[in-house]
Amino acid sequence: MKNKQLMIAVFAFCTAVFFGCTKEPMNNLNPEETRIYVTNSDSTVNFGAYKTYSISDSVVVLNNGSAYKDLTTVDQAYIDAVNKYMQQRGYQLVNKNSNPDLGINVNRIYNTATGYFGYSDYWDYYGGYWDPYYWGYGGYDYYVPSSYGIYQITQGAVSIDMLDLKDAGSKDKIDIIWNGLVRGEGIFDSSTADASVKALFDQSTNLQSN
Amino acid sequence: MKMLKILPFLVCILLVSQVHAQKGEVKMNLQYNYALPIGSFKNDVISNGSARGVTGDILYNLSDKFSLGLGLGFQDFYQKYPRALYKTGDQETTSAVLSNSVQVMPVLAKAEFYPLGGKKSLIQPYINAGAGLGVVSFAQYLGEFGGTDNSASLMLQGGAGIIVPFGSVSKSGFRLGANYNMVSYKRNGFNNFNNIGFQAGLFFPLK
Repeated sequence: MKNKQLMIAVFAFCTAVFFGCTKEPMNNLNPEETRIYVTNSDSTVNFGAYKTYSISDSVVVLNNGSAYKDLTTVDQAYIDAVNKYMQQRGYQLVNKNSNPDLGINVNRIYNTATGYFGYSDYWDYYGGYWDPYYWGYGGYDYYVPSSYGIYQITQGAVSIDMLDLKDAGSKDKIDIIWNGLVRGEGIFDSSTADASVKALFDQSTNLQSN
Repeated sequence: MKMLKILPFLVCILLVSQVHAQKGEVKMNLQYNYALPIGSFKNDVISNGSARGVTGDILYNLSDKFSLGLGLGFQDFYQKYPRALYKTGDQETTSAVLSNSVQVMPVLAKAEFYPLGGKKSLIQPYINAGAGLGVVSFAQYLGEFGGTDNSASLMLQGGAGIIVPFGSVSKSGFRLGANYNMVSYKRNGFNNFNNIGFQAGLFFPLK
């Protein structure tokens, strides 16, 4: 009988160990591996026809519906990286008053999700955690006001938009002909900006001036 | 050298071994399971074998040759693919590390047949079959972005192996076997999580 109980205990232990050893994908990614680089490119556009570009001297921060301009060291790192890789692809940086063919905007985007969790479970056993006797009121009950806790999760992204200024006059509109988006851990760090922008350009082989 | 000395002794014991699968007896099989994905599961989701699995059966002996019961288990499949480009829209390309994680928990009605049941034999072969539900948890992530889909669908199982009793009149012993697991999963463009399992473990009576 003891052997059976032992074997069942071993099985239960093994099961617990195996469940515990489940490879959790999020725990097996380093910060670089958490990042995704997304590009959207207008397949009808001949990017070789554009020669010059201009880039905004600050970034727009889109934070849950509000927008403002900012220029942190991280923002500057992204702007510098875009300049570096645009020029590697043969595009010439010009002043925005010099009729550039392309305009480039860099954006920081934050989305915050808000939720709440009740504290009821926490209060239910409060007397067990903190015996009223400790405070000199043995036998008393705690009075717990109804309450709740707020939590917020903020997710961020960096986006880079390429605008067709060359044809804006004839089309009466400014087409966004390319967009790059970076998401994941560590993207708001100036040390990762260059690699992130490089990744966007690496997967956009059509971005090349003739 | 020591092994050579005890080998004839072990052989003598095993030669007269007999698995007493008496009618009305309830027994339990506990096994470690290694699983290899096959087919579209291997080609499209996870190609790595999984060394994280366990199975457990509780079987009722209808006769010396036949038992029926319940089969449970757990198997964890996981694979992380190096960064690559994925077409995620008409004009959209995403560079990401792809992670696939699949957990399969079979809940099966099982039947096991012993061709040499009741006869003295060094090794008792068996074949078994199961049918029931495969409870599946499938998580897929591009980078850290993704989600988990939980479902339960048809699962069929067929297998074969051997059992070797501990002693001449022992009702407990070792089990070795392999089985084919057909796990249906027709969602999000996937077809199945079929795999082949290899088991090693113990059996023993519960009453």
